[in-house]
Amino acid sequence: MRYAAQKTAQFLIVFVIVTFGVLVAMRLGVNDPARRMLGGTATQANIDAVTAKYHLNSDYFTQYFYWVKNMLTLDLGRSEIFSTDVRTLLRQKVPTTLLLTIYAVVLALLIALPVAVLSAYRRDGLFDKSAGFFSFAFVSIPGVVLGILLLLVFSIHFHWFPANSNKIYPWDNPLQSAKNFFLPTLTLALPISAIFTRLLRGDMIMTLQSDFITLARAKGVSPQRVLWRHALRSSVFSLLTSVGLQLSGLLGGAVLVESLFGLNGLGQMLLESLLRGDLLVIQTATAILVVGVVFTNLAIDLLYAVVDPRIRLARALG
Amino acid sequence: MSRNYPTRPETGVLLDVEDLATGFKTGRGLVRAVDGVSLKLDRGKALGIVGESGSGKTILSRSIMGLLPRRGVVRAGEVRFEGARIDQLTIKQMRQYWGKEMAMIFQDPMTSLNPLMKIGAQITEPLKTHLGMGRETASDTAEKLLVDVGIPEAHRRLNQYPHELSGGMRQRVMIAIAMACGPTMLFADEPTTALDVTVQAQILDLLEEQRRDRNMSLILVTHDLGVVAGHTDEIVVMYAGKIVEKAPTGVLFSQMRHPYTEALLASIPKIEQPSHTRLHAIAGRPPDLVNPPTGCRFAPRCQYAQDRCRQQEPPLTAGDHPEHAYACWFPVVTGGFDRPAATDATTDSNVAVTIGGLR
Amino acid sequence: MTLITDTTSMTPTPLDVPPAAEPLPKRSRSKIHVGFWIALAWVAALLLMAIFADQLSFIRLPTAAVKNHGRSTAGYKLGPGWNAWFGVDSTGRDVFSKVIYGARTTLKVGLWSTVIGLLVGTFMGLIAGYFKGTYDRVISIVVDIMLAVPPLVLAIIIVYRVGDLQQDRPGNPGILKWFTRTEQITVVLSLLAIAPLARIVRALTMSLAQRDFVLAARSVGAKNFRIITREILPNLIPAMMSVAFTGLALLISAEAALAFLGFSVETGTPTWGKMINASYRDMDKAWWATLFPSLVLFLTVLAFNVIGDRIARHYDIREAAL
Ligand SMILES: Nc1ncnc2c1ncn2[C@@H]1O[C@H](COP(=O)(O)OP(=O)(O)OP(=O)(O)O)[C@@H](O)[C@H]1O
Ligand code: SF4
Ligand SMILES: [Mg+2]
Repeated sequence: MRYAAQKTAQFLIVFVIVTFGVLVAMRLGVNDPARRMLGGTATQANIDAVTAKYHLNSDYFTQYFYWVKNMLTLDLGRSEIFSTDVRTLLRQKVPTTLLLTIYAVVLALLIALPVAVLSAYRRDGLFDKSAGFFSFAFVSIPGVVLGILLLLVFSIHFHWFPANSNKIYPWDNPLQSAKNFFLPTLTLALPISAIFTRLLRGDMIMTLQSDFITLARAKGVSPQRVLWRHALRSSVFSLLTSVGLQLSGLLGGAVLVESLFGLNGLGQMLLESLLRGDLLVIQTATAILVVGVVFTNLAIDLLYAVVDPRIRLARALG
Repeated sequence: MSRNYPTRPETGVLLDVEDLATGFKTGRGLVRAVDGVSLKLDRGKALGIVGESGSGKTILSRSIMGLLPRRGVVRAGEVRFEGARIDQLTIKQMRQYWGKEMAMIFQDPMTSLNPLMKIGAQITEPLKTHLGMGRETASDTAEKLLVDVGIPEAHRRLNQYPHELSGGMRQRVMIAIAMACGPTMLFADEPTTALDVTVQAQILDLLEEQRRDRNMSLILVTHDLGVVAGHTDEIVVMYAGKIVEKAPTGVLFSQMRHPYTEALLASIPKIEQPSHTRLHAIAGRPPDLVNPPTGCRFAPRCQYAQDRCRQQEPPLTAGDHPEHAYACWFPVVTGGFDRPAATDATTDSNVAVTIGGLR
Repeated sequence: MTLITDTTSMTPTPLDVPPAAEPLPKRSRSKIHVGFWIALAWVAALLLMAIFADQLSFIRLPTAAVKNHGRSTAGYKLGPGWNAWFGVDSTGRDVFSKVIYGARTTLKVGLWSTVIGLLVGTFMGLIAGYFKGTYDRVISIVVDIMLAVPPLVLAIIIVYRVGDLQQDRPGNPGILKWFTRTEQITVVLSLLAIAPLARIVRALTMSLAQRDFVLAARSVGAKNFRIITREILPNLIPAMMSVAFTGLALLISAEAALAFLGFSVETGTPTWGKMINASYRDMDKAWWATLFPSLVLFLTVLAFNVIGDRIARHYDIREAAL
């Protein structure tokens, strides 16, 4: 429990520093933030109202305080530049990015698990060697390039998938949605699946050499069970950490992929608000991303304690 | 025991190993971890394999059981179990033996149990695999097994993880797992090395008890002559992948001829030393197993070594006792004790007991 | 947060090899993979062409309009062929030449940002890993913070704001105007490299600090500075060399991603990312203008990764540290 409290405190520290940093970074040297937020055509009255609401004339700490307060009361404000409520805006954009990242992680794991397990099992075999080759290539390929290649082959040459993946949610039209999300998901998933594969393979190879695996074999348990039940289980933990560590890069990648495939999500919103000077939206968007990253890592960390009996004990003692 | 095991012959040869060799392919060349080992083991008997660290004991026992990885491992020779060749079998075929006919327990109970699996699941695994037991039956049987190996509160233990148990308890769990399907043959690879001295004796007694109850054969691997003394019928001494001396236990202690055996005996840890300190008593290191020295492999460290030893390899020759053999050109004359050499193995068990009691 | 994990503590032990026995031979040190030489050759060729682009007759100026039978080729009017190996782009410029000149900028930015990131990251990691305690806690929090923001997001915010602040407006710090756009990008990219590098160096330092030779040095009363510079740093070098190349590969990708999103160096100076950005919407008409810069980008990143990987294998550095 103490452990969880400590971790949560760390989470809060990181969150506060990052969001405060973004606030300062976005407002530093901006003389009239309200005018920027409202666009050129705003009336003086509007400007004054916004300045008052977000305390834009006060120091950064006060501004930050009110920003946090607004966030906590879920009063996210209104974006003049997108001419809509920020909450509505988020409701439109967040699901896209969320779906994209979840799809990507799931797909990456679906690819990585069997490939890594088979590679480790038949280490240095033909399958392992070719898997190693492809993993290396996919770890190396820049996201832009992968996206471009996929577009070129599957969309422009074969016309199997749309080049412009206007977002369609699975609950609206599952088939079209799958088609639209496929290439962006693949672009995000392949590199991380390669990372997962390499990591899991290495871990499995080490696990397969441990005594408890030999013991399992000596019991006459089937090789499949040795592999999937005994070996994979203990290797999966380092994979779990890696999922958390990849998340930050993944969300960054999402910005790129959304832009490349014209998927209108959080990343697109961030870019647009940045270029158009919508301080409020940028701040909220980064806050969401940071919470996403840090919170997932925190969750994974705490999840460990629940799932891994060794850590459960170690933490109970420490 | 309440369970019935299939009726098996009570006596006769169970395991027959002929000229077994096992090597690892490495970048430097072939590491000959086991180099031409032959041994026989009768039903219900216990054989001790003794040697320093790195002498090939673990590899020998795993090689006999066919448990080594197949990749990068070279294996030659014959292994017969109940008269049938098992050294050429596929993994699928070997699974009929693993856990059912032959079982193994390892040195370090910390690392040999799956840390992420409950004790119960680990014991029921072979029961379900080999005896086709259902969940309930398997779980009940597991509990009985835990009681058999002397674990208190057996029922509660089923739901615990290995790290919640002490080292001795864990080793008992290992024994319970090994005993689960009533194997005819048990390999115990340094079963007590990682344990406290007091616990060591308990575990050895437990193994002995289980062996007698089930008329099971036992191969007890250790680097400690003291451990095998009281608990085996016969002893094989290994050095650098080869057998350098073998004899019935009593004969070995009373008439040991090989300088290496003598040195091993001299290095039996005293009671106050923690016994899992690695053996350094014999000066020097075991030879390189890629390019072993010509002649006697022990020569570089042997205090009796002569020129002949460095040129010609001594063959395994018979001693005075018909079942005694050793590989040395200049065998030592007396055993480790100042008493007349006994000739009969049965009377010698006294000696063995005394030595065992020394510890 | 366990964003910082000490991955170097996991030492794989081969099947039950007693420590007393002779160490198993490491992967043979002498044998260097052909892949390494191919990668090196690719990088060398690219570097040479980029450096001597002005002198080499087969490389046009990136600003020179390509003519085909005397007519302008603007609007992708010329595909790959003898006249223009990689075809022309929408403005009728030679894609190949632009790729080579783009290599100039890309490699320069990548190299410098790697160097800066390496220096700062190593310094932070050393301090955190060697002195532990408060230093470690503070540095770890800084690293956690840097890693909490998606790198690309961090980069675009900084690049955008710096560009914004450079404009002549009352109250903007004049100092920012001293930096060219290329230098800004370089610094921002190096920021991305610092946190991961610091993490790696910290883990390596921690394990080195417990090694016998360091303990021995300490027991004879060597000063911390001396231990760090004489015992720890030299032992970090092989790993850092490997990491430098993989880091370079990552930063080149990041540069391309930034440029693709429209945050790049001065207008007029080509980079691969910019070229892709400028032409990818027309891929259905002129695949070459996008595909060739992409492929060159990929091969270069791949080459640096191969080099880094081979160095790591050569010195038997565990992949876990990365
Ligand atoms: N996977 C392997 N690759 C190469 N050599 C190996 C391998 N495993 C074991 N060896 C070598 O085989 C020899 C015998 O090892 P083994 O584990 O059988 O010794 P041991 O007698 O059981 O020692 P200990 O008392 O330490 O358990 C050792 O010299 C070891 O270096
Ligand atoms: S043969 Fe020679 S070297 Fe070998 S053990 Fe006997 S006396 Fe020693
Ligand atoms: Mg052993």
